[in-house]
Amino acid sequence: MGIMTALLGSTVVSLVVRGSKALSFHALFQNTFSISSVTSLDYGGLGHAVLGTLIIVGLAVIFAIPIGIAVGVFLTETNGPFNGSIRFLSQALTGLPSIVSGLFVFSLLYVTGLVPKAAVLGSIALFLLMLPTVIRLSEEVLKLVPQELRFAALALGAPRHKAFFQVIFPAARSGIITTCLLGTARIIGETAPLIVLVSYLPTTNVNPLSEGMATLPTYIVTFLNYSTDFANQRAWGGALTLMILVGVLFALSRYLGRNKI
Amino acid sequence: MSTDVAITGTDIDDDVHLLSKDLHVWFGERHVLENINLEFPVNSVTALIGPSGCGKSTFIRTLNRMHELIPNAKLAGEVQFKGRNIYDTEVDPIQVRIEIGMVFQKPNPFPTMTIRGNVLSGLRLSNRRTRSEDELVEKSLMAASLWNEVKDRLDAPAGSLSGGQQQRLCIARALALDPDVLLMDEPCSALDPGSTLRIEETVRDISKSMTVVIVTHNMQQAQRVSDQTAFFLAENNNPGFVVEAASTNDIFRNPKDKRTEDYVSGRFG
Repeated sequence: MGIMTALLGSTVVSLVVRGSKALSFHALFQNTFSISSVTSLDYGGLGHAVLGTLIIVGLAVIFAIPIGIAVGVFLTETNGPFNGSIRFLSQALTGLPSIVSGLFVFSLLYVTGLVPKAAVLGSIALFLLMLPTVIRLSEEVLKLVPQELRFAALALGAPRHKAFFQVIFPAARSGIITTCLLGTARIIGETAPLIVLVSYLPTTNVNPLSEGMATLPTYIVTFLNYSTDFANQRAWGGALTLMILVGVLFALSRYLGRNKI
Repeated sequence: MSTDVAITGTDIDDDVHLLSKDLHVWFGERHVLENINLEFPVNSVTALIGPSGCGKSTFIRTLNRMHELIPNAKLAGEVQFKGRNIYDTEVDPIQVRIEIGMVFQKPNPFPTMTIRGNVLSGLRLSNRRTRSEDELVEKSLMAASLWNEVKDRLDAPAGSLSGGQQQRLCIARALALDPDVLLMDEPCSALDPGSTLRIEETVRDISKSMTVVIVTHNMQQAQRVSDQTAFFLAENNNPGFVVEAASTNDIFRNPKDKRTEDYVSGRFG
């Protein structure tokens, strides 16, 4: 236990110590336009990468969460002939390597000309990574709701859909929120599909349909490729920002996921 | 698709409005109950007793069409309520469950609702209205002998109640729909003796205006609360059946069948 704490603690400490030098209030509102590997940390920032991450991940989340939860509900509340296959596929795809997802989208959508090069391709790849996790976790969370609650609702004359929305789903609410968070955390730091599909832009771009957008993972990779101290510190700053984002998400989920009566 | 039809019919025996006729039940290919013919007189308590695994709980679930919610459940025969077979295709199972309420073995109040919310949940789930929710909450909790203990904290979470209180809350929740029949599947088996006695008092009170069918493993309880008793048995992996059904007094003091006598005297079970 002590060794694990030390390991985790040292990671956090390293991130904070090395990354804090590149982080400042102004850095959140600036980008890296005309910033080179030797530019002082007083200039430029990673606001464009934070925005890009929120947009690309956000687009994936907006689709993966409702679809994933709906499939999880379908698997729990019905007993159809295809449930086994859907369950197996979602479990198998939970371990899908992110580079495979990126290459799959690249070859299926971009190379075939179905979708032009655009940041939204990154969202599609992240959606494919997130969906199986949301399906699997929602099903597990809904299965944890005691069967007695279902029967109690049905015995009171509730139609199945009302029993689900008024009794089962509220009872599973905190678990569903955790599922959404874990699904988001699964993809927020994924780098490989973004390297393949989304060109890094040093300027701020909020249009996912245009080619290129900065994201935190590609920001980190871009500056890690330089060997200067300033560039490395910028990369650490990006890593620290990513960790803070994930931390905020987890804290939010604990707050929203508490059982309300 | 069945329509929402209240359960009415002709040829109603005034003393009996719920009965099973030639009822057989299966789970998949496994025949679990055979040829159950039982009548439940109006405004009385009927206890179903018998060893574990003989099909008492399975039978009670056929009385309000909860049985069909279990995968692979099958049934043949009839359950007549107010002169009509509740398994007719025109009969809406949801309406059946409103008129024939149920309380389960393990207290199961809805955890995300308050005490008040739980009592009213049946109305909300079945899309019904009442003129005064406050009056209904009070009336239902009083009928379940819980009002005095919770009247000052109706907005507290249902999970804050003790096990016995939760079970009485579940009774109040079922009573709020004003059912004609209340089915109780071992309602006291998870409770302490004090809570058990409170619930038995409640059962005797509500049976003045309602038909109650109660499954119990506790023979003393059956003698305390019921007017009639039916003894179920399943022998050597055969389907369960009713050995004997009569007044509680006759079953316990003067059983006709030796198996009944052996069971009520504790020689097996």
